[in-house]
Amino acid sequence: MSKFTKEMVDSYADKLLIGLTDEENKMVLDEFDVIDKDIDIINTIDGIENIKPMTHALDYQVIENLRDDIPSISPNIDDLLSNAKSKIGREIEVPKVVGETNA
Amino acid sequence: MLNHLSIEELHQKLIKKEITVEDLVNESIKLSKELQDSCNAFDFIIENPKNYGVTDNLLSGIPYGVKANYSTKNILSSGSSNTLKDYVPFFDATAIKKLNDAHAIIVNKTAMDEFGMGGTGTTCRTGTVKNPWDNTRMTAGSSAGSACAVAYGVYPYALGTDTGDSIRKPAAYCGIVGYKPTYGMISRYGVFPFASSLDHCGVLTRNVKDAAIVVDNMKGIDENDMTTWNSSNINLYKSITGEVNNKKLCYIKEICDISNYDNPSDELVSHLNNFKEKIELIRSNGIEVDEVSIDKKLLNTVASVYVVLSCAEATSNMSNLTGIIFGPKGEGEGVFDQIKDHRTKGFSPLIKRRFVIGSYVLQRENQERYFKNAQRVRRLIVDEWDKLFKKYDGVILPVGSGPAKKLDDDSNTLANGTTILEEHLQIGNFGGFPSITIPDGFINNLPVGLNITGKRYDDANVLNIAYKIESLMDYKNQIAERK
Repeated sequence: MSKFTKEMVDSYADKLLIGLTDEENKMVLDEFDVIDKDIDIINTIDGIENIKPMTHALDYQVIENLRDDIPSISPNIDDLLSNAKSKIGREIEVPKVVGETNA
Repeated sequence: MLNHLSIEELHQKLIKKEITVEDLVNESIKLSKELQDSCNAFDFIIENPKNYGVTDNLLSGIPYGVKANYSTKNILSSGSSNTLKDYVPFFDATAIKKLNDAHAIIVNKTAMDEFGMGGTGTTCRTGTVKNPWDNTRMTAGSSAGSACAVAYGVYPYALGTDTGDSIRKPAAYCGIVGYKPTYGMISRYGVFPFASSLDHCGVLTRNVKDAAIVVDNMKGIDENDMTTWNSSNINLYKSITGEVNNKKLCYIKEICDISNYDNPSDELVSHLNNFKEKIELIRSNGIEVDEVSIDKKLLNTVASVYVVLSCAEATSNMSNLTGIIFGPKGEGEGVFDQIKDHRTKGFSPLIKRRFVIGSYVLQRENQERYFKNAQRVRRLIVDEWDKLFKKYDGVILPVGSGPAKKLDDDSNTLANGTTILEEHLQIGNFGGFPSITIPDGFINNLPVGLNITGKRYDDANVLNIAYKIESLMDYKNQIAERK
C-alpha cells in the first residue's frame, strides 16, 4: 500500500497556494509511487551518504564576474508598474494582508 | 522560398542585394501564419518587426524565432503560461540584446510547454504544437514551437532553452539540429528560470554551422548572470573545419543494445539499427568509436534524479507568480485567496503536479532521502561522464526510442518502464556538458536523431565532430515534408 495519501498531497499543494482537482491529486500520487521506488534504488548505492551533493552544473566554478559595488540606474517606476493590474500612483495596490488568518 | 537557405547563403544574398530584408521578413511572417494554422507553433506573431539593416554580421537582417520564455522588450513574453498571458517586459534578455546588436530580426515568439516544464509540446497556453512532418505526432518539448518552425523553414534558426532535453529532443523529432552549449556560455539573464542548476540557453537550426554562428553571437560573460564565464577565446564558427584526425567517441552498451529492452517496438529496433549503421559510417570515415559500459543501476536513476531536482528548483523559482505584481489578478477576499485563485486557474495540471512533488522533496523531513540523495547521484553520474571525457572527445547516443510519438501518448507522466533511452540527455544538464543533436535518418518517413555530448568548455570540438558526421549523411538543411 502506498505511503502517500490524498490528504498529504492536498496539504502540500495548499502550502504552495495551489488547488488540485481529484484527478490531478491522483496523478501526483501515482508519480510519487514511481519516484519513491526509484529513490529506493538510490539508497542501495554503496556509500551514497558519503557523496557530496552536487548542487550546480559547474559546482567547482570560480565566479569571475561579480559586479563591482557601483550604484547603477534603477528601472523606471512606470516601467515596473506597467504589468501590475491594480496600482495607485507609484504603488501596487494589494488587498489587506495584516490580519489574514492564514498569514 | 528563401528562408530554407543557410545563414551563410542568406547573408551572401543580402550583401549582394539579390534579396532584401523585407523579402525575408515578409516570407517568414507568411510562413508563420501558415504554420500557425496547421501546427499551432507560435505564442505570438509580430506583424511589423524592426529592421536594423544589414551589416558584416552574418545574422544581420535575417529573421528568427524566440522561445516564449525569453524576455523581449515591448513584446509579449508569456512563457506559454496563462499566469503571464499578458506580460510585456520592459527589458530584453541579455541573449536577445546581443542578437539585437547583431541586427537579427525577431518575427515571432514560439510556443512551448508551460515554463519549459514538459517534454511533449502539449501544455502550451495556446494549445498543442503538432509535428510538421506528421500532424498526428508530437514535436516533443519544451522548445516545441521553435523546433516546428525551423523544420518548416520559417527561418534558419530559433532560440530554445534546455533543462532536461528541451532543445535536443524536439530537434530529433523534427529532423533538425539542436545545440545546448556548456552551462553558462550563454547568459540566462531575462530568461524565465525553471531549474536554475540545470537551465541552459541554446538554439535550433537546420545545420551545425548555423548553430555555431548563432551561439557565437549569443554567448559571453554577463554581470547579470554569475554563472556565465569568459568565452572570448572561443569562436565556434571559425573552429569548424571538418578535420577529425585522432578524434574518439564512445557509445554506451546499456543504452544502445537492443537486448536491454523487453518486447522492443519495431520503431525502437529500427532506430537502434539505424544508429549502429551510422556508427559504422562514422568509423569508416576516420573517427574511432568504442563501445563502453556504465552501471545500469546508475543509469536507471537518471529520470528520478531529474524529476526530484527540477521539481524542487521549479517550486522555489516560480513562487513569485502570484498575480499581484504581474499576471492576471485572482479573485478572492484576501491576498492569499487571490494568489491561490491565480495559481490554481493559471497553471496547467502538469506543472501543478510538479510543484507539489518539488514541495514534498524539499520538506525538512524528506530532504535527505529525496533531494540530497538525488544531488549525490547527480555527482556520481557526472563523475562517470567526466571519466569518459578523459579518454573520449564525446559520447554519441541515439535520441529517444524512435521517431516522434503519437499525440495521444502522454509521456509527461513519469511511468514505470521509462527507459534510459528516453532520458539520457538529462545527463548533459547534470554536468553542464555541451551537447548537440543532429538528424541521422528516417523511420516510417519520420526523422530520428543522434546526439553528441562532450566535455565542458570543449564546444568547438563537439561542434566540429558533429559537423563532420553531418557531412557524411544527407539530412543537412532538410525541410519538413508534411504527410
